[in-house]
Amino acid sequence: MLIFTIRRLNLFIFTMLVLTLLSFSLSFLFPGDSIINITGAINATPYQLEKIQQSYQTDSNIFWQYIAYLQHIIHGDLGISMSSQSDIGSEVLNLLPATIELSLVALLIAMFIGVPLGFIAAIKHNKTADNLILSISMIGYSIPVFWLGILAILTFSINLGWLPSAGQISLLFEIKHITGIQFIDILLSDSPYKWQAFSDATSHIILPACVIAVAPATIFIRLARTSMIEVLETSYIRAANAKGLTFQQIIFRHAIRNALIKIIRHVGLQFANLVTIAMVTEVIFSWPGIGRWLIESIYQRDYTAIQSGLLVLSCFIFTIHILTDFIYAALNPLARGNKYGS
Amino acid sequence: MARDKIYMEEIFPSPFMQLWQIFRKTPVAMTGFSCFIFLIILAIFAPILAPYSPVDGQLNMLLLPPAWHEDGNVSFLLGTDELGRDMLSRLMYGTSLTFGMSFIVVILSLVIGVVIGSLSALTSGLKSSFLNHFLDVILSIPSLLLAIIIVAILGPGISNTVWAVVIVLIPQFIHITRYAVKEESRKDYVLASRLDGASPFRVLYYSIFPNIVDRIMGQATLAQSAAILDIATLGFLGLGAQIPLPEWGAILANGLDLFYIAPWTVYLPGLAILFAVVATNLVGEGIRHALKLRKDR
Repeated sequence: MLIFTIRRLNLFIFTMLVLTLLSFSLSFLFPGDSIINITGAINATPYQLEKIQQSYQTDSNIFWQYIAYLQHIIHGDLGISMSSQSDIGSEVLNLLPATIELSLVALLIAMFIGVPLGFIAAIKHNKTADNLILSISMIGYSIPVFWLGILAILTFSINLGWLPSAGQISLLFEIKHITGIQFIDILLSDSPYKWQAFSDATSHIILPACVIAVAPATIFIRLARTSMIEVLETSYIRAANAKGLTFQQIIFRHAIRNALIKIIRHVGLQFANLVTIAMVTEVIFSWPGIGRWLIESIYQRDYTAIQSGLLVLSCFIFTIHILTDFIYAALNPLARGNKYGS
Repeated sequence: MARDKIYMEEIFPSPFMQLWQIFRKTPVAMTGFSCFIFLIILAIFAPILAPYSPVDGQLNMLLLPPAWHEDGNVSFLLGTDELGRDMLSRLMYGTSLTFGMSFIVVILSLVIGVVIGSLSALTSGLKSSFLNHFLDVILSIPSLLLAIIIVAILGPGISNTVWAVVIVLIPQFIHITRYAVKEESRKDYVLASRLDGASPFRVLYYSIFPNIVDRIMGQATLAQSAAILDIATLGFLGLGAQIPLPEWGAILANGLDLFYIAPWTVYLPGLAILFAVVATNLVGEGIRHALKLRKDR
């Protein structure tokens, strides 16, 4: 496990370096002066500009400029937004929790729907139920997410009027921003209308989370199905069968556990996919998350915000990726070998 | 003159033809394939087939519902939008923008990706390990996010969307080609041809490529369904095709303000995207299914 950890940490550092290098080079790729793209200081006086140039070491060679940029990032200085002149670091910290909340809820929905359906399909392999589930999953991952979101708003918010269509919580409730994750904030607050606020927040999150969950759920169906089919063909299942265990005992005690482990490995990769879908969905449902903020800053050509938002988002995705790798390795000793550590 | 002995000619179809023979026998895959061909024909001949111009509107025919609706008009089969533009013509032209463009995008990135991938499969050591790590990083960033970033660098517009999606899809092709070439070059027939004195490029071209072309095709269909969705999503977000262009995602975004009054301006482009992606995925499923059957045989 120690060697595995070192290998993973190695990969993590390498990736972070590549990502910061990418974001550093973005400032040269974007139109305009690179130092202004990095800092966002468009209204700086010549004196301020000189100071900024000094701190980013623009007169030394590109390597030292990159090191200076890294130092700024490590100190949490992501520059200021070109359009609103507010500090990007704190803005991102305010917005990221909303996205995390939405994606986690969506991930849970996707797993709770997708994995059992996949298992059912695998157990009924090559029968009607299997074909039905597979066709549904085919449509599920072919559907464009923005269209699905609009259809969901049209049916559930406008025609039926069951669920609200925009925002994170009704404006009537005043919830203090502590962690940024709405549900925890509500529970921490001492408002007398705590439970009304809680149910309001729940009804706001259902629609966007379900829309996001559709595509990953279909992928979980396929993953669960293939891994279950593989497990059911192994010799230990045959041994369990020969011992005279009932079908249910085999499935619940032996097959599901081993099949689940293989799925956990893919959760990290799926999470990346899910965050992208969440970005588009945030735009449709006016969810105050980082995806909407990033897309809006593209409209406004706010290069500093794009650069930092990209860096934060991809670091977040990669951290989740590494975390799931660790969980997988902790659960499955087979994975700690060299095979997956390279 | 009678022949005493008749030798039956043995035919060994190429791996690609074997694949096609299995593929032909799966009805679902063939349905998807005919839809795919239909879309390609539509994409090429849209200017001839479309009844009206996609950009000029008839101002006396605003927001006409589809023909099966009681207020509909048969000469505007799928209705019109808020500027009186015929939806059917717009969708037909949109086929060449969304679907046709995704096809070109996939071919471009396939060629670049396969060349880089097979060259990198011939190298080994530090360079190869670096490339491996680098690909891992790039592949862990979702394709749409990467496309959005590239569009942010290049600026919105349809040609920039094409380049963004091409760049996004290349790593996947590099990865799969590299993997497939490495796997094949361990096999005996490659060794035989190398013992005959064939140069690495000759081995690659005459021995390895015919055997991996089917796997690359399978990846290409996956890439195309991703490309259609990415192009449409960028169009929808206003980062891809700009306003008068009848790109499916852009049409959908355009109808968004009116979707309570004129829901068909939102339903129809969405259905078109769904149809194109399902057709592509069916072809892909067919190829993967045939690959699996051929392997088991």
